Amino acid sequence: MSSPESAHRWIQLIEPACTSCMICARECPSWCITIDSHTEPVAGLPAGARDRTRNVLDRFAIDWSLCMYCGICVEECPYDALEWVGDLTPPGSRAGALVEEMVPPPS
Amino acid sequence: MRWVDWYGDGSLYVLDVALACCTLEFDAASPVLAGPLPTLHDRAQVAVVISGTVTDRLAPAVAAIVDGCEQLAGQRPTVISFGACASSGGPYWDSYAVTKGVDQLVAVDAYVPGCPPPPEALSAVLDDLVGG
Amino acid sequence: MISWAGEIVIKVLSENWLAAVEALQADGFHYFDWLGCVDEIGRSDHFRIVLVVRNIADGAEPEVLSCLLPRDDPKIDSVRGVFAGAAWHEREAAELFGVEFVGGERRRLLLNPEFEGTPLRKDEVLAARTGMNWPGAEEPEEMGDPGKTGASSSRRRMVPPGVPDPAVWGDRDASQAAADPADVAESAIGGRVRRRRT
Repeated sequence: MSSPESAHRWIQLIEPACTSCMICARECPSWCITIDSHTEPVAGLPAGARDRTRNVLDRFAIDWSLCMYCGICVEECPYDALEWVGDLTPPGSRAGALVEEMVPPPS
Repeated sequence: MRWVDWYGDGSLYVLDVALACCTLEFDAASPVLAGPLPTLHDRAQVAVVISGTVTDRLAPAVAAIVDGCEQLAGQRPTVISFGACASSGGPYWDSYAVTKGVDQLVAVDAYVPGCPPPPEALSAVLDDLVGG
Repeated sequence: MISWAGEIVIKVLSENWLAAVEALQADGFHYFDWLGCVDEIGRSDHFRIVLVVRNIADGAEPEVLSCLLPRDDPKIDSVRGVFAGAAWHEREAAELFGVEFVGGERRRLLLNPEFEGTPLRKDEVLAARTGMNWPGAEEPEEMGDPGKTGASSSRRRMVPPGVPDPAVWGDRDASQAAADPADVAESAIGGRVRRRRT
């Protein structure tokens, strides 16, 4: 079913924008966001440059059975990596089915 | 208890266990006002929607209502956990007085996320129930 | 008399509480609005019982009574003989704060009969989150060394809002004296508690 763009029915992750800063997980009042990540060295640096690392997102999950759709995560993300969408959050048929693995953990 | 003849043709009767704010979305989704249960015919389906936070104090009453539906309908009803609170305790999962999801008390057939879910979410789940 | 949201609050000693409520009712304040309890820990070692009545016939402005009770033995007369509706408000304050209403109704209102505790006291910690791993405490792990995170070891471990500092309540050093209730209450709302080394 169609909904206006402003409808606050579901939150989705824009994965390329996420830097694993953890701010959304920290700010969520329901503790419903789980993020796993690790650091990797940055390759291809010029000679003599200091070693640098970057974060790699391994898992991003939201437990919709806890989420109260407050939108704090969307507002707090410094990289605009979370957005409201107008589709309905899908229902589930068993306990735990409401955990959405937006970036599933490596198997 | 008061029931909604959802399609107006006796094919699906829905009972709302109106516990908290989610029941307002049930009201918005419901095509008609609830009424007493008429005689169910053989192919009628029965659904119980738990709309809202289940407190520890009310938990026995909620379980009794689902059991009572089974008596009345002669079959186990489909149980729909409507909204975050009914599904897991929702934002109140940490409360000293909240049951963490109605599935602690009765088997649940469908978990509908939302706080509250929009009325269309309930209609969609009930349509699936009858169709599928 | 102290000012509270613009209204005048009448302070009453607990021994005069029932008489004060009866006097107000006799004076035309026939409408019982509400009765509540405030835990004044951190400001003083008391519970404050607040009661609001109104004179509907005369503008319905609220008349506010306030009574301080010692936190270690909070007892006050029940006013349900004056306003029957006060019974439920008193039951709620009794079970959530542990206040005794002399002559009041003893039945629980909102909590399960088996429930133990007085959860609205500020030094009673809502323990559910202290036992759970906070998803916000995760940090990116250093590759090749899964046990080590990239965060510098000197960074102070973050405690989420609503969870008291473990040094004050919970998983703390048992050789240190127990924190006093005011410190626990302060920490639970996110305040920094300076622990004195004994």
